[in-house]
Amino acid sequence: MTAPSLPELRDLLADALALWEVEGRVRIEADGLRLGPALRVLPAAPAEHPVRWWVERPGMQGKVQRRPCTSVLGLLRSLRNALGAETGEARRLRVARPEG
Amino acid sequence: MIPVTVVTGFLGAGKTTLLRRVLRDPAWADSAVIVNEFGEISLDHDLIAVSEERFVSAATGCLCCLARDDLTRTLLDLAAQRAAGAVPPYARVLIETSGLADPAPVLHALMQDAALGATHALAGVVTLVDAAQGAAALSRHPEARRQVMLADRILVTKPDLATPPEAAIRALNPVAPLRAAVQGAAEPGWLLAPAPPPEHLPALLAAMQAEAAARHTPGLGAIALEREAPLPALALTLWLQGLAEHAGPRLLRLKGLVALTECPERPAVLQAVQHLVHPLDWLDSWPGGERRSRLMIIGERIPRHFPARLLAAIEAEVAAEAARR
Repeated sequence: MTAPSLPELRDLLADALALWEVEGRVRIEADGLRLGPALRVLPAAPAEHPVRWWVERPGMQGKVQRRPCTSVLGLLRSLRNALGAETGEARRLRVARPEG
Repeated sequence: MIPVTVVTGFLGAGKTTLLRRVLRDPAWADSAVIVNEFGEISLDHDLIAVSEERFVSAATGCLCCLARDDLTRTLLDLAAQRAAGAVPPYARVLIETSGLADPAPVLHALMQDAALGATHALAGVVTLVDAAQGAAALSRHPEARRQVMLADRILVTKPDLATPPEAAIRALNPVAPLRAAVQGAAEPGWLLAPAPPPEHLPALLAAMQAEAAARHTPGLGAIALEREAPLPALALTLWLQGLAEHAGPRLLRLKGLVALTECPERPAVLQAVQHLVHPLDWLDSWPGGERRSRLMIIGERIPRHFPARLLAAIEAEVAAEAARR
């Protein structure tokens, strides 16, 4: 089993947009995914581990900001923030084996 | 006459925990149980652990929307089997509604169907209200308000977690006796003793029927997840965090049996009510020997494939990371 493929990630992000009530489409491009007109998600190279994805967004003075994401949850959080959707509340949970 | 008690309460209020506790008491074990679950997967039978013969699952839809036909037929069929000796004798019937059921149509069926009325008598409506989530449920969901309005007895659950929303309850139902209990530890004799229907009940039911269009919260849906392969505990943890973070208050209920990679021989019972995930409970073995994870998510406007896609992505990531080490 490998990290999610681009089509799988596209479907997940399309669902996430619907969940956040953000209008927009997710498209596969030659080097990654595009969300709406301004956001891009690019897979990181293996040598960049633990970074898995880069989120590109417009920055100040026409420059492009690149933010690293080390997990799918981090990617979702970064995109949600970049899209200005209402922020979710991050939670820490623990699933443990039975005692004894 | 066979007494019938309706046990209701909003999603995650603790109905199944209460029934499991009541049915372990030898004085109340001779009860037949009808459980209605919202969604495609039936889990409560495995969690209640009641004998197969006296258990009926009405799991394919919302009981309040099917009550007149399905409930009537189910009760009459069960009574016919009892009379023929096909099921062990039972002294009463307990109906656990789904957390999204409006009890009014269920009571209508019990009070107005001639065939049912000849053999069964409504013994009361027990409504559970979650101390932690109850106030929010009562303010947001018409189902929760109707459950309280029709209660003959009200049991506040999880009073160890929060202050019970007594004012909100009393605004809807000023007369029903109210008690609190932790982990379903209520006195069955108090809960289930037959109570004559209050005089105002027919008028209340008629008024509720007139507002039937407002019976359910718009956009509610159930999403089922089933999988054969065990799931790493880390993937389950991250998935729960992701669901809680991104679905937020739209996630109303999550429950299921999960096979974890670290302990596949024992099913983990997963229970969450909104953002509150309960500590895992562990069954000794898989019910029916069926080692398969089954999860049910109930929420408002959650994209149908989001939970499964999120789980697949997280699981792939966890597996890839494990392979690197």
